[in-house]
Amino acid sequence: MRLASSKQASSVSKPGKTQRPRGRAGQSNLSGILLVLPALIVLGVLYIYPLISSIIMSFVSEQGIGLYNYRKAINLYWVDIFFTIGITLISLAIVFIISVAIAGYLRFNQWPFLNFVYRLPLFIPFLIAGHSMRVFLAPHGILNIILTRITGIPELPGLAFGWPGLVIAFVWKQFPQATLLILGAFQSVPDSCIEAALNLGSNKFRAIWQIVLPIASPTVLVAMVLTFVSTIGCLTIPLLIGPSKPVMLPVDMSFRITYFNDWGVANALGVISYLLVIGLSFYYLRYMVKKEEA
Amino acid sequence: MQDVTRTNWWKRMILRTIAVTLIGLAIIGPLAGTLIWSFAEKWYWPSAFPQQVGLKYWKASLSGQSQVMESLWVSLLIAVIVVVLAMLISVPAGYALARYDIPWKRILLVIFLMPQAFPQLPVFINMTSMFYRYNLVGTVTGVVAVHLVVSLVYSVWITTAAFKSIPVSLEEAAVNLGANRLKVFFRITLPLAAPGLIASSIFVFITSLDEFTGTFFVGAPFIQTLPILMYTASMGYNMQYASVIAVLLTIPALFFMLVLERFLKAEYISGLGV
Repeated sequence: MRLASSKQASSVSKPGKTQRPRGRAGQSNLSGILLVLPALIVLGVLYIYPLISSIIMSFVSEQGIGLYNYRKAINLYWVDIFFTIGITLISLAIVFIISVAIAGYLRFNQWPFLNFVYRLPLFIPFLIAGHSMRVFLAPHGILNIILTRITGIPELPGLAFGWPGLVIAFVWKQFPQATLLILGAFQSVPDSCIEAALNLGSNKFRAIWQIVLPIASPTVLVAMVLTFVSTIGCLTIPLLIGPSKPVMLPVDMSFRITYFNDWGVANALGVISYLLVIGLSFYYLRYMVKKEEA
Repeated sequence: MQDVTRTNWWKRMILRTIAVTLIGLAIIGPLAGTLIWSFAEKWYWPSAFPQQVGLKYWKASLSGQSQVMESLWVSLLIAVIVVVLAMLISVPAGYALARYDIPWKRILLVIFLMPQAFPQLPVFINMTSMFYRYNLVGTVTGVVAVHLVVSLVYSVWITTAAFKSIPVSLEEAAVNLGANRLKVFFRITLPLAAPGLIASSIFVFITSLDEFTGTFFVGAPFIQTLPILMYTASMGYNMQYASVIAVLLTIPALFFMLVLERFLKAEYISGLGV
């Protein structure tokens, strides 16, 4: 019932690297390229080309080539840019706390209930997570049906359609993946390290914080990068449960196309969202390539 | 002495019950709500349960001529085409990445990883503008293309891992016994890699079935896949229909993913149904 953790995955990938077929290096180069070619063409035409054209088109407007789209995008949407960064960082911080707490707990304790149940949102698509949260957090939603009974207050404000609902939906959808990655990393920290700390008088909480977390930090960072990128680029959850103003950048991009037919500003917003993640993306790509080549 | 252990036991039981309730409510609550809504024929605030429960909306959704069934067939058709194409492309690519010394392998890896490392929406938008030029917007072909690019990243990774897990020595043994390379691949490698390849196909199937954002741009307004129909229903406060579709889409995802857990790396699942 366990998902292959990153540790297991890398041990699987090793044999192929060391035991590669011998004696036909020259020929295999060519056939290797030919075998990869279809995938490369599809990704080139359907991913790389649109990616590059999003960058190029962001500089093109009726005014000619320049920064017009960016000036317009920042003038119109600077609040949304900060809102997007804020929501993403708040969600990220909460995801970090929850996933380190669960992974830390499960590193020391067996609790099959928690170990099973925390993974459920992983398999729920973003769209359905958004819809479910809409039903759950609406002013007359399931949560308020329960809360009004417990508290005795007849009407409570709904959490949906405001920033708290947005954060709750993101955290609900995103923490399982982070937990899974972090737990895998925590489990690959040898017991001896932790026992040494515990013997020296440290408690489990401090052992996690001061020993396990620093050793596992590359994977923890990858988990945070994946959470950050998929939160900042998510369209469905903000559409379904977010406030109508301010909105997150993907919603602005989508409205710029569907309501204004304004591709230039949409692309400028797209490039801005690339710039928001680019440092993290490079870290992630470097980490994954290194892992694959190890 | 016994009293102390007994109170401790009670304390722990109560704490555990509270923890299970809270965790259960937080994680299962939203899903349970959707499930209940799909059976709710009448549910007015502030009743704790629907006033009237029944299969009305399920029957209406699953009857032959309904919009839901129409969308279900479109979604299934697209998903099957995407699985076939994705596997035709990623089996050779995965095999090559697992076995051959390809020049610029690093660049290839980066290209295959990029869709996960950057927001995808700008790509979908520009794909749409590209597809307008070739009249592919609002066609099955266009939607298949989007789903293909979304799922290819995962299918290539999973097939690569599947081939890597097979010891090269088995292939070499067959070669030494006189089999040619093609025969070795079809007789030895492919059957051994089959579980991983099936996992990969199912992953692609689910990804395609649940894909929303790309379809929203490229498929509009003519291609109504199930997620698109669900979104429209949810935004229009057709809570029952939206919930029925949500349950329909969740069951296969949940079932297959739980079955296939051991084939999946945590990194793969992030893109599901974005």
